[in-house]
Amino acid sequence: MVPPVDDDDLVFKALADPTRRHLLDRLYERDGRTLTELESELAMTRFGVMKHLRVLEDAGLVVTRREGREKLHFLNPVPIRLVHDRWISKYAEHRVAALADLKQELEESA
Amino acid sequence: MSTMTAQATQVYQVFIKASPEQIWEAITRPEWTARYFHGARISVTPEHYLSLGPDDARWGDAEVFEFDPPRRLVHGWDSLYDPELAAEPTSRVTWEIEPQDGGYSLLTVTHDRLEQSPKTAASVSGTGWTMVVSGLKTLLETGEPLTA
Repeated sequence: MVPPVDDDDLVFKALADPTRRHLLDRLYERDGRTLTELESELAMTRFGVMKHLRVLEDAGLVVTRREGREKLHFLNPVPIRLVHDRWISKYAEHRVAALADLKQELEESA
Repeated sequence: MSTMTAQATQVYQVFIKASPEQIWEAITRPEWTARYFHGARISVTPEHYLSLGPDDARWGDAEVFEFDPPRRLVHGWDSLYDPELAAEPTSRVTWEIEPQDGGYSLLTVTHDRLEQSPKTAASVSGTGWTMVVSGLKTLLETGEPLTA
């Protein structure tokens, strides 16, 4: 494994794709899934899903573990926390939080 | 975090610009853990894992299954800081430290055997372990505890 040492670029690039964000959301709901399970929820070839998972792995957002014959994929939230600490809390956390709350309230009441 | 179902196995991983020996020291000695582990003073010996809160309350008191400095530490986990969580079965925490190029180490924390401990699983997930692991990185790389 190539260490993505302090490389926010890899995290931002990995997050800049709807399919990869979708994969992270699926793992957030239920962790430790196989490629076959993840593939079944996407209208995409196995090879395509593998490519996206590789980008997420290189960014450190997904960690894999072998269990018997299966390779399980786990969401690693730490890089997102580090990007958050570096790029969000520093600049605008209070304002962003207020706006995010407002958006959620408006959308829920709509 | 409302939609999160508690995971029975949770994995947290981070690169830290520190040697395996420094990381080992930081996860096994109370003067280090107090600065990034929610204030807990944690002492780990080959026989015993003990975590004390600021008021000397026992936050964790568990068996050490593997003690292989500076690469691998496996210990039991009981959340004694909360009676509801403490009533659940003991789960397991594994720390793996692998040296990397450029003075970095890869730290992987796996909290598993949480199948019968859903409340503990929910409590340590999300910001729980994430804050500990990112706080440890910040402390070792900058010498400053994480301010949040």
